[in-house]
Amino acid sequence: MSTKAANPLAGEFELELDGPLTAYWIALLRVVTGWWFFHAGVTKLIEDGLAFTYGPMYMQQMTGTVLGPIPVWMGNNLAWLIAPGVPLFETLIGLALIAGALTRLAALGGVFFMVLFWIGNGGFGHGLVNGDFMGLLLFMTVLVLGAGRYYGLDAIIEKTTLVEQNPKLRYILG
Amino acid sequence: MTDITNIVDRIALGLAGALFMLGIVVLGIVELLDGAPFGAAPTTNEAGEIVATPMVDPTIRTGLVLAGLAVLALWGLYKVVTPYAEAATARRETATAE
Repeated sequence: MSTKAANPLAGEFELELDGPLTAYWIALLRVVTGWWFFHAGVTKLIEDGLAFTYGPMYMQQMTGTVLGPIPVWMGNNLAWLIAPGVPLFETLIGLALIAGALTRLAALGGVFFMVLFWIGNGGFGHGLVNGDFMGLLLFMTVLVLGAGRYYGLDAIIEKTTLVEQNPKLRYILG
Repeated sequence: MTDITNIVDRIALGLAGALFMLGIVVLGIVELLDGAPFGAAPTTNEAGEIVATPMVDPTIRTGLVLAGLAVLALWGLYKVVTPYAEAATARRETATAE
């Protein structure tokens, strides 16, 4: 009683993670982030199919970054994976987040993509915290909060016998 | 519920947070105090020539942030290979009962 009196946000605006407003917002955040990547991926698929040749070229130009020779090496040697992988994984990551299925695994993939975009684009003219970094933080937030549990399929998947017997699967669900 | 009570968890989360803050905020303040350019990229003139460079190389700052992410990734792997929190909690409760 005294807690509620001290917290004007209690009730319908409860900010606990299981509160209605928080659950609603986390779900919205997850779906919008998912749509962002789904749109980026599916438009590449429509325009270039599984031959997104700009992907390897982009990596080859990533010289002088903190990632050292890794992106350039990837661009030169993993073009067979990057060209189809970028549109395909962007699309799948987006779909997974929209549906809230395998959310943490998908968000981890999103973090990987956003690290490469943040470093590769290098748009640091107004500081390190730019749009790419905000995208990275969005995926981190989805991952940390286990956003698929909020109006997502992971809420159902986590109640299956398989997950009950293998609780560590929650590290890639949720 | 994720169990983040042991010393490894605290060190990992503290170190990752410190690396994030150092790369983004602390060196950002250093950059501000150093004067223009206030961002983390060189300033160029209309001809595209670099006329001023940031005091701290952005490679160092991005490296610190990525190191923070790497610490979190390693911590995640550590959580995967160690007993799940619920199991650990159950064991603690059993031990207490005994």
